[in-house]
Amino acid sequence: MKKGGNISVKNLTIKYGDKVAINDVSIELIEGKVTAFIGPSGCGKSTFLRAFNRMNDEIIGASMEGDISWMGKQILSDEIDPVLLRRAVSMVFQKPNVFPISIYENVAFGLRIQGENEPSNLDAAVKQSLVDAALWDEVKDRLYDDAYSLSGGQQQRLCIARALAIGPSVLLMDEPTSALDPIATAKIEELISTLKSKLTIVIVTHSMSQASRISDHTAFLYLGDLIEFGETKQIFEDPKQELTGQYISGRFG
Amino acid sequence: MTEANPLEGDSPKHKFVLGSLFASASLSVVASALIIYTLAEGTIEFFLAEEATFLGFIGGGEWVPNGRNPRFGIWPLLSGTFLIAGGALLIAVPLGVSAALYLSEFASNRSRKILKPAVEILSGIPSVVHGFFALLVISPFIRTYFDASYFNAASAIIVVAAMILPIIVSISDDAIRAIPREMREASLALGATRWETASRVVLPAARSGIVASVLLALARAVGETMAVTLAAGSVASLHLDPLREVQTLTAYIAQVATGDIPPGTATDAGFAVGATLFILTYTANTLAIGATKKRLGRKPGKLSKSLGNLSRKARSAISSFSNGDIPGRAPVDPLSPNSTDLKRRKSEVIWRRLIGSSLLLGMGFLTILLHSVIKAGAPGIDLAFLTDYPSSRAHLAGIGPVILGSIWLIALTMIFALPAGVGAAVYLTEMSRPSPINLFLRRTIQNLAAVPSIIFGLVGLYVFSRMLGFGLSLLTGSLTLAMMVLPMIVVTSEEALLAVPKGFREGALAVGATRWQAVRYHVLPNAVPGIATGAILSVARALGETAPILFVASIFSKTAPTGVLDGFMAMPIQIFFWTRHPSQSFQDLAASTILVLLMLLLILNAMALFVRNRAEARRSW
Repeated sequence: MKKGGNISVKNLTIKYGDKVAINDVSIELIEGKVTAFIGPSGCGKSTFLRAFNRMNDEIIGASMEGDISWMGKQILSDEIDPVLLRRAVSMVFQKPNVFPISIYENVAFGLRIQGENEPSNLDAAVKQSLVDAALWDEVKDRLYDDAYSLSGGQQQRLCIARALAIGPSVLLMDEPTSALDPIATAKIEELISTLKSKLTIVIVTHSMSQASRISDHTAFLYLGDLIEFGETKQIFEDPKQELTGQYISGRFG
Repeated sequence: MTEANPLEGDSPKHKFVLGSLFASASLSVVASALIIYTLAEGTIEFFLAEEATFLGFIGGGEWVPNGRNPRFGIWPLLSGTFLIAGGALLIAVPLGVSAALYLSEFASNRSRKILKPAVEILSGIPSVVHGFFALLVISPFIRTYFDASYFNAASAIIVVAAMILPIIVSISDDAIRAIPREMREASLALGATRWETASRVVLPAARSGIVASVLLALARAVGETMAVTLAAGSVASLHLDPLREVQTLTAYIAQVATGDIPPGTATDAGFAVGATLFILTYTANTLAIGATKKRLGRKPGKLSKSLGNLSRKARSAISSFSNGDIPGRAPVDPLSPNSTDLKRRKSEVIWRRLIGSSLLLGMGFLTILLHSVIKAGAPGIDLAFLTDYPSSRAHLAGIGPVILGSIWLIALTMIFALPAGVGAAVYLTEMSRPSPINLFLRRTIQNLAAVPSIIFGLVGLYVFSRMLGFGLSLLTGSLTLAMMVLPMIVVTSEEALLAVPKGFREGALAVGATRWQAVRYHVLPNAVPGIATGAILSVARALGETAPILFVASIFSKTAPTGVLDGFMAMPIQIFFWTRHPSQSFQDLAASTILVLLMLLLILNAMALFVRNRAEARRSW
């Protein structure tokens, strides 16, 4: 998999109607690293995340200004087809949203729609993705079972496998463990640290301890503004902004 | 204040209320029992006749009820029914599912706001009006291009398709919209286009609801009477040629109802045909209920059992694959389209246009229907027409007593059905806990709702008119219609009650109100707008309904009724007879009557909309 270089965001503003959700944010996401977005509910972290694969296009009334450049292209421009962008910038959501079909077909879906129907290619890709998502050993004997027969944590790893199958360079994760129990959470966190050798990962999280455990860089957002961005260690041990310090010490949020 | 024991049980008054509510809920069981009793009794009588045998009935290929040597083989009627229902489904299912998919996945909010009501208007057009359109507009059109007979199955197929289209659209639309947004986002985030998401993720996920919509549409198509009677003809013959005349099960019963069949065995045969029809629609409805229950992902692991062998084979194959790199997938530049992507873009555009055009077809049908009715009917409407008596001379004829007859009929129907329906809804949602009895009552109501309307006519004739001796009177007609609209009132009232927040009940119960007091003072008042909306729509339904009162309305009553035991005429029946009249001046009178009826329906629907909107605007919760 190709990592595709750094992603640089310049003066990004996102609005829902007249309401500003992200206000003039500039940031540089480093290739092959895990960047965490933290902040209290409603601070715009998920909205920000959904800019990178243009999922905000699907929300009526949402509008974006500013630039995100990646691989030498302005990915917010009209010339970029979001359908093509999304197979390079894949996404995992808050709640596991598997399709009501078999485990195998869930993973194969992204390839099938791209016209890949050769069984041996699909088999290899499905296996590889499930191995990468640390799910293979648990499901290899029931690949044709309904995906809903899996536990919540397994479903979420299936969603990760599904996202990996299309060969992305970037993986966006929107609070991927918020609906899971601590054991399933630990498995996903472990998975993230192995995946970052292959991809650039951007994760939104509610949990500050999670951000400090798994991320290399952390961005703290508050009410649509980027308050502070830096190496995770620095943010948690020596925040430059007073607001960041208050948030990570649990005084609000 | 008396020193009553605070923990004392129910008061007699409370028991009385509960008893009457339970009685209301049980009325649907009584109605169902009457249906089964009527059909069974009439069918037995039929088979006791010399000319009829059971084997000859279910195996016979000839249906000749009249004449010296009558033969009663059901197959010609069955083939006619399946030709029309099957043909209608063939048109309506692809159109309806496409329309539903377009409405929920692609239409902008604004166009949805226009298109959805258009579909609702189509569903509100009474079947006798479709019959008029089929016989006097579509049939001539078909005859100019094909070698078709005056009465033909094709024209009936087209209007029946238009009648069941709204059922398929609205139920499929509900099923599609119930698919969570997350499922669509998952697909889009994997790089699927909107059409790929709609066709490969959303549609399969909604399939059980779509199957249910098709089954309900089938039940409706099989039970459809008036349009089929008017357009398809009254010759029962075993063939599947849409250009020729066929008779359906319902059309034969209607023929009995209009007195075109001599009394005796041929009339009794109507009950046997009714029983056959009942069994068919009951089966379709039961299957539909089963399909809606089968929600996806409810039974994990079930799929694996059916795919056991396949799974095992695949398992051994896939487990042996190496962990090597996946060949040739990642494109050099993922942001530029390759040849497959260009093909996908093209098919996206084509498919969107294709399914969008299904709605245009439906709108086109509606426009032509309204246009031809207005063209034929508008010149004939004046004050004299609205007030004069019906006459055998077209230029003198009016519909004064007919309008009054309809108003009497509907008023009486609602007097019977409204209290019973609301009572049943209150009992089922508020006063009883889930129990086998409760479940049985609900199933009975659901099944009653799916009984074809012409069968209620048989019950009215047999039970109210003959057994109870009410004769061909308003009382018989309104009791018959009341049975028919009862399930509709129960269902809409239940929805209105369930929309009242749970907290209202708990709040009242927590300060010591009885269950009934909580309902009486805190739930019912807040449910009134919803119940009223449902009641108005039931009035609209009853006003346009023809088949059940075909047996009891009397074409000979030229004056308005003055009491409940008087004979009566109603607008849809008048439309039916005038449409069948060979002379065009009478057919134009039918069109004028249709216009009056449609106006009344429009007013009723506007009222329902007004009540609903005002209540929503005023609601503080």
